Amino acid sequence: MGNMKIKAKEKNGVVGVKVLIKHDMLTYDQAKKKGTEANFITHITGKVGDKIVYDASTSQFLSKNPMIKFKFKGKKGDELTMSWVDLSGKSVTESKKIK
Amino acid sequence: MNRRNFMGFGVLAMATLPSVLSAIESIDFRKTKPDTWTAKTVQDAIKALYGDIKPEESGVKVKAPKVASNGGAVPVTIKSDVPAKTVAFFQNMNPESAVAVWNVPEDGIVDYFVKIKLKATDENGGNGELTAVVEGKDGKFYIGKTKLQVAKGGCEG
Repeated sequence: MGNMKIKAKEKNGVVGVKVLIKHDMLTYDQAKKKGTEANFITHITGKVGDKIVYDASTSQFLSKNPMIKFKFKGKKGDELTMSWVDLSGKSVTESKKIK
Repeated sequence: MNRRNFMGFGVLAMATLPSVLSAIESIDFRKTKPDTWTAKTVQDAIKALYGDIKPEESGVKVKAPKVASNGGAVPVTIKSDVPAKTVAFFQNMNPESAVAVWNVPEDGIVDYFVKIKLKATDENGGNGELTAVVEGKDGKFYIGKTKLQVAKGGCEG
């Protein structure tokens, strides 16, 4: 297991998703104090197959190690793929089967 | 693809033709609307994102604790039953106001939870307001707000 903790559970045709991402989410102010570059997640996407089920552009004000939750219409057994990109260009993608 | 075909193919179509069914693509609002993210006030950010809009004060719920003890991770839920194209989330405590902009997928459910940072300062006294704007598929805009208090001296802001 890596960077993300993903939970996806289907109930009555709606999949509830909880994602925990490990990331410092260093704001410009915090970076200045530490003498480093700001770096935070700028985009989070969730997909089932080719279909986008979550698409968020984000700012430096998500919390450190941000947690997100969302819902979408889906079904058990499908694979949910979550990806994020940060300011430095780093990107992480991880998948989880919907329960 | 029309509704009848969609119903006919049913689950099989969902599994095999997702690219046909999902008209929407990922939108990076940081690239398409760069001024939204540098705007200092909620009003300016909304203007940069949506233009001069007059949102209706209904249909959008922003849920947050009345008193947040940790400004480093304040849980916020945004809900709306309005069939939405996009959802934007702002606050008025940090140096810039935009937090996130969601591009809502076809038949998407607007029930978004995020943990965010809110900085209590001498200027704002720990008092803040969270604002969510929903751009409906009907071309109208809807707005919801909630006030909250953030304890000072929490770990980092």
